[in-house]
Amino acid sequence: MKPTRFGPSLYGTNRFGMASSSPLHVAVIGTGIVGASAAHFLAAAGARVTLLDASGPAAGATGASDGAVSVASKRPGPMMDLARHARAFYVRCEQDGLFRGLFHRRSTFLVARTAIEADLVAQHGADLAAAGERVVEVDRAALLDRIPGLGASVCAALEIPDDGHALGYEITERLLATSRASIRRNAPVSEIVMRAGRACGVAVRNEFLPADAVLVAAGIGSAPLLGLGEILIPRKGQMAVTDRASVAGPAIDGHLMAASYLAAKRGIVRDNSHIGLVIDPLMTGQFLIGGSREDHRSDHSTDAATIAAILREALDLYPPLAARRVLRSFAGVRTASRDGLPIVGLHPHYAGVVIATGFEGDGICLGPFMGANAARLLLGERPEADLSALSPQRFARVEAHA
Amino acid sequence: MREAPILVVGAGPAGASAAATIAEAGLPVLLIEQRDQLGGAIHRQPAAGNEEHVWRPARHRRNWAALTARLQASAERIEIRTETIFLGVDSEGRFLFDDRHEACVFARRPRAAIIAVGAIETIRPFPGWELPGVMTAGGAQVLLKETGRPPEGPILLAGGGPLLPALAAQLAKAGNPPVAVLERGRPWNAPAALARLALSWAPMSEAAAYAAALAASRVPYRCGAVVTQAEPDGDGLKVSIRVGETQEPLLVRHLLIHDGIAPNRTGIPLPDPDGAVPILLAGDGREALGADAAILDGRRAAMQVLARLGHAERGAPSDERGLQRARDFQATLARALQAEPIVPPPETLICRCEGRSHADLAALAPDASAREIRLMGRFGLGACQGRFCGPMIAALRGQPLPTASPPRWPLRPVSVAALARLTIDETE
Repeated sequence: MKPTRFGPSLYGTNRFGMASSSPLHVAVIGTGIVGASAAHFLAAAGARVTLLDASGPAAGATGASDGAVSVASKRPGPMMDLARHARAFYVRCEQDGLFRGLFHRRSTFLVARTAIEADLVAQHGADLAAAGERVVEVDRAALLDRIPGLGASVCAALEIPDDGHALGYEITERLLATSRASIRRNAPVSEIVMRAGRACGVAVRNEFLPADAVLVAAGIGSAPLLGLGEILIPRKGQMAVTDRASVAGPAIDGHLMAASYLAAKRGIVRDNSHIGLVIDPLMTGQFLIGGSREDHRSDHSTDAATIAAILREALDLYPPLAARRVLRSFAGVRTASRDGLPIVGLHPHYAGVVIATGFEGDGICLGPFMGANAARLLLGERPEADLSALSPQRFARVEAHA
Repeated sequence: MREAPILVVGAGPAGASAAATIAEAGLPVLLIEQRDQLGGAIHRQPAAGNEEHVWRPARHRRNWAALTARLQASAERIEIRTETIFLGVDSEGRFLFDDRHEACVFARRPRAAIIAVGAIETIRPFPGWELPGVMTAGGAQVLLKETGRPPEGPILLAGGGPLLPALAAQLAKAGNPPVAVLERGRPWNAPAALARLALSWAPMSEAAAYAAALAASRVPYRCGAVVTQAEPDGDGLKVSIRVGETQEPLLVRHLLIHDGIAPNRTGIPLPDPDGAVPILLAGDGREALGADAAILDGRRAAMQVLARLGHAERGAPSDERGLQRARDFQATLARALQAEPIVPPPETLICRCEGRSHADLAALAPDASAREIRLMGRFGLGACQGRFCGPMIAALRGQPLPTASPPRWPLRPVSVAALARLTIDETE
């Protein structure tokens, strides 16, 4: 790589105030989709990157999630706007080759099964349209043309045609394979080591790894490193994967998202272990069916009663699933922040530390874009979108009073 | 509230022995069997409408007759559910079963559980092992027991271990002796182990009977011979055989392969004899020691459960001695038949569920995590969840295929409709 490609912040004085002649060394904690993306773009800009993970790539929520790159499901406000940026980033990365073959455009169908759900879907459609999103009303007959076999209870639907699909672990693998970041598996970081108010490295077991800057993108494992108190909440989601309904490509022409999922996302339903139903047709021809929303659960076990309840909902929405077999059930743990918004930005108290976590169920959609922006922050550049709503600054006082 | 039963999963020799022992002590038993009849692989009975044609050693017939008589004598305390698949244990401690007869999944919380699901067959992969016409010797033996008819056309048996001559003798007696039995080991190179084996009366008299059957049908038993490749050839297979430095082709209709057995542990809960609900493993599913030892091991597990539940039964020292003899015999046999591993060529299929090759496996980082092997390698993700490819992957990587913790359910594919109809027994 030619030195001319290095940004000005990498040589000379970088934003962390260090004069150096060697490239910036960044320790990235967490090799999920966010950490992998940050590492990729940091390395591309000439930084030296060490990725550290308590387990290995995609070991957390990245490897246990559906593949929705979906604006359709986002809460109105900054999340909807940022999801549009993030989806556009996927499109760009697909076009420039980085995500070639891994990101596919596909419609999301928001489906309602009762009059109350139809109202909710209509309201959400209006919010999406106001944010600039294409929204198409689909009547039952047209929907049955698109998705034959759909359940009799489905009464209204909206199509969001510009959404997409990507598997978190495949994106992570591609980002890592195309960057020169070094990966350390089974390397749990116990502490960010500070010197004179600035990060100077991380502790991995009994070893000190020096670094000029640190990115914390470790999902639920981030909180103990940040010193900001209990700002993260685990939210378990149970899912099931079926056998193949088709041998080539997705078995149905779109991602089915029940209004119950929207209700959970918009904060209308607050009870524990609520089911927000999505039926995700995978590129393999299999279905991924999810999922529960279980606050304060960080284990990866699944229980038959919850999986059976998810499947009953799924059969009501799409009865042809009765012909499928469940190959496995599994659970992922989403990392939600206390106020429900992701946490992306400079650490309020530790210089040289950037945080990117708390994406809850939106990490696959937002992850690559947020990782790239975390890289920009680490390089002293302005983010590509307004991230002020996500700033860790909002949790600063917690520590001051703690 | 009625008394919760002791769960016994699997009605082969270990499960039948455990169920009978517990019922004889006066406790209720729920005996789960995936097939429509009891017996497991070793005592598989002819399918309905077929007559028993398969020759078996008299000892095995006597053992199974004795076990079925004991189960019948305690029948009022044993609830038997056939055509019912054990799906594993969920996070709430519920044991899950797929009742294929009723097409619904049911959950039970037993007082204790003895899991006796037997062994899985292992093979050493070579290009073409997945072709039609190739199957495992154990699978072929079960088919023979059910149908009473051997496959038609020339049959080749290859791999390693005592199942090969046993099946060859049964095929010969059923009217279609194999063209050859290829044993990859060279027992004559291990005279000390051979001498020790000769002292084991029961298995050796069985082996002598097989040898006599093979001699009568002039079936060659070739040691140090391995199959390196199978290719389609018309209706059959062209099999490449290597003996020492020489390669020779052989045209057959069926290639039956086998390289020993290993405990079936995929998705099986970990043993927990001291837990609130004691969980014990028994038989070949605990330690692959064969059919005779499985009967002892089923009784041993039952005694342990009875003692744990306050019934003053204790394990018999003679059972432990019998298990130790079986362990010594298996270890000696393994020494006699040991053969160097062969690294298969890169294109060799390893996971047939997802179509993953040895090259795909080799591309994984040496310290790849369980998640990477599963998701990025796509190993252990298919219908078998690693039950069949797991031992191959372990042998090729030199380390076990990481398992999910806790074990995942369902451990067999289950109908979406059946699982949605889950019934939970709340009298539990």
